[in-house]
Amino acid sequence: MIQTIRDIFRVIRHPGDLFSISAADPYKSLKIRVVLLDAILSLLPLVIVVTISYFWFQSILKEDYRSQIKWQIENTKQSLDFFIEERVSGLRFIASTFTYEQLSDRKTLANVFLKFKREVSGLVDLGVIDSNGIQQAYVGPYKLEGKDYSNHDWFDEVTVRNVYVSDVFMGYRKLPHFAIAVKRELPEQGTFWILRATIDVETLSKFASAMNLGAEDDAFLINKEGVIQTPSQFHGNVLGKLTFPLPGSQQGVTVHEITESPHHECTICGYAELKNSPWILVAMIQSAPYLKIPRIFKNELLFIIIISTIIGIIVVTRIANTLVNRIQEAEKEREDAIAQSEHASKLASVGRLASGVAHEINNPLAIINEKAGLIKDILEVSEDPSKNREKFLGLINSIFDSVSRCRTITHRLLGFSRRMDTAHELFDMNDAIREVLGFLEKEIMFRNIRLELVLAEDLPRLMSDKGQIQQVLLNIFNNALDALLEGKEGAITITTDSKDQKIRVSVSDNGHGIPKDKLKKIFEPFYSTKEKGKGTGLGLFISYGIIKKLGGNILVESEATKGTKFTIEIPTTSTSQ
Amino acid sequence: MKQAGIKVLIVDDEVALANTLAQRLKMRDLQVETAYNGEEALSRLKQEEPDVMVLDLRMPGMQGMDVLKEVKKTHPHIQVIILTGHGTDKEEEEAKILGGFCFLKKPAEIETLAAKIKGAFSEKCAKTP
Repeated sequence: MIQTIRDIFRVIRHPGDLFSISAADPYKSLKIRVVLLDAILSLLPLVIVVTISYFWFQSILKEDYRSQIKWQIENTKQSLDFFIEERVSGLRFIASTFTYEQLSDRKTLANVFLKFKREVSGLVDLGVIDSNGIQQAYVGPYKLEGKDYSNHDWFDEVTVRNVYVSDVFMGYRKLPHFAIAVKRELPEQGTFWILRATIDVETLSKFASAMNLGAEDDAFLINKEGVIQTPSQFHGNVLGKLTFPLPGSQQGVTVHEITESPHHECTICGYAELKNSPWILVAMIQSAPYLKIPRIFKNELLFIIIISTIIGIIVVTRIANTLVNRIQEAEKEREDAIAQSEHASKLASVGRLASGVAHEINNPLAIINEKAGLIKDILEVSEDPSKNREKFLGLINSIFDSVSRCRTITHRLLGFSRRMDTAHELFDMNDAIREVLGFLEKEIMFRNIRLELVLAEDLPRLMSDKGQIQQVLLNIFNNALDALLEGKEGAITITTDSKDQKIRVSVSDNGHGIPKDKLKKIFEPFYSTKEKGKGTGLGLFISYGIIKKLGGNILVESEATKGTKFTIEIPTTSTSQ
Repeated sequence: MKQAGIKVLIVDDEVALANTLAQRLKMRDLQVETAYNGEEALSRLKQEEPDVMVLDLRMPGMQGMDVLKEVKKTHPHIQVIILTGHGTDKEEEEAKILGGFCFLKKPAEIETLAAKIKGAFSEKCAKTP
C-alpha cells in the first residue's frame, strides 16, 4: 500500500508518469487511477464546502466588524456634535443674557468665563469683539485684548453666518486651537458684536481615545481639505496634510478598506462628517482582529482537510488494492481456465486423430495378422512347404504392403505432431491440405461425403508455421464434417488461390449453417453451436488466435440450413507477431 | 455338432482381409463366403442364408450398424459377430442392443473368432427348433 501511495504522489508530481506506469503494469495504473478518481470524488466536495464556509465565515466576520466600527464612529460623532453644540449653545445663551456693555467690562466677563468654564471643559479663553473686529474685552491666559480680527477669515464667516466654528489654527498664540464665535445683532444701533471662545485641541483628542481603539489603531479629525486637526498616532501631525485621499463624503458613516495604507497592510478606514463643525472624524483600524479569527478557523479547517485526506487516501487505497487484486485474480483464473481448455481442445483434436488412426492401422494390422496366420496354418497342415513357395511369397508381399500402409500412417502422424511446435518453414499449402485430409479421408469415404478440391496449381510456396496452419485446417475441416446433416448428401469444397502475396483457403460445406445472431460469437472462447459434450468451444477461438499471430485473417460466411464457408488468408511470408 | 455345416458370411471392405480370413476359416472346416460391402451382403442373404455373419462396421456406403439392423429385421436367426478396427464402447453397446452376438476388435485371434462362430452357431441352434 505504501508503494501505491508513493506512486500516487509521484503521479501527482509528474502526471506524465501515469502513462509510463500504465505501459509497464496495467494493474498498477488501474490502482492509481481508481485511487485518484475516488479521492477526487470523495475529497472534492469536502474541499469545496470548507472553502465556501471559510469565505462565508470571513465575510460574515468582516461585515460584523465593519458594523461594529460604524457604530463606534457614529457614537463618537454624536458625542463630538453634542460637544460643539453644547459650547455653541452656551455662547449663545451668554450673548443673549448679557449686553455688549456688560460683557465689555472685564470683571463681568471674567466672572462669566469662570462660571462657563466650570460648566464646559476645554475652554481656553473668552473675548468680546466689536463690529470692527477689535477685541474689546478678553479673559484668558494670553494678552489678546485690543487685537484686530477684522482681516481674519473667521470674522467674515461669523458676520455672515451668525455662528461659526473654525478649523484648528495656530493664531497669535502659536498653539493649535479652534474658535467658536456667535454674533449678536444690535438692531437699534444697526450694528453687532461677537462673543468668541477658543477651545483647546486636547479636549477634542479625548474623544478619539474614548473610542477604545487598539494600540495599532488611530482616530483623529480632519477638515474638509484633508488637514489633520487633532493629534494622530500614525498619520501625520496637527495641521499636516493627510497622506491618502478619502472618497467623497456621504451622509452618515462610511467604512471602507484601504489595503495599502502607509503603516499597515490592511486597514479599515471609517469616517463621518460632523454636523455643526467643519470636520470629519476619521478612524483608522488595523484589520488584524478580524483576520486573526479566520486564521484560527483556517488552521482548523486545514487540519480537518489534511486528516480527512489522509484517512480518505488510506481507505481508498485499501479499497483499490482489494478491488484490483480481485480483478487480477479473476483475470488469472480466466487465463488459467482458457489455457486448460486450450489444452483440452488440443487433446480432443488429438483424440479424434487417434481414433481415426487406430481404425486405419488396425485394418492393415488385421491383414498382417491373417496373412501370417495363413502361412502358419499352411505350414502346420502341409507336408512339403516348398510346394507352397509361390503362395507364401504372395502372402509375404501382402504383409509388406500392409506394413507399408501402417508406416505411411505413422509417418504422417509423426510429421504432424512434430510440427505442433512453432517453427517457420517453406511449404506448399496444397500439400498441407492434402496431408490433413489424409487423416479424414476414411471418415469422408464412410460417410459418403462428396469432397471437391479446387486447388490452384500455380500456388506460390509460403514461409509460415505449417504445423499451426494444419492445426487450424484440421479444426475447420472437422467443423465442416460435424456440420453436415444426417440424411442429406454432404458436400465439402476446398478451394485455394493466391492474390497480393496472400494465400487464401476456403472451406465450404452444405451443412446446417450458423444463424446470423450466432455468427458474430463463433470466435469467442467457450462458444459452441455443437451439441453439449461434442465441442469445447475453443477450436475457432484458438484458430483465430493462430491466424492473427501469423499475420493472416479468418473470415466466415454462413446461412442457416444452407451451409458455411470459412476463408483463411495467410501472407506468403508471415512473421509471428 | 457338425462344424462343417456352419455357413459363415464375412462382410468387410478390406478385400485382402476378407479373403484371407475366409481361407483360414475354411481350413477350420467352416463354409465361408465373402461380401465386400453392406449392400452386397444383404443381397447375398436372399440367395443363401448363412448361420453366422462376421460384420465390419466402417464401410463405404451402407454402414455395418445399418446392415445389422436390417439383418435382424429380415433374418432374425442369423447370428452376427461384429469385427471392427474402430470399436468404441458406445458402438459395442449399440450392437448388443440391436441383437449382435458379440463384438471383436481387429486384429482378432483366428481361434477366438472361430470359437465365437461356433458359439454363435450353438446359440442359433438353441433358438431355432
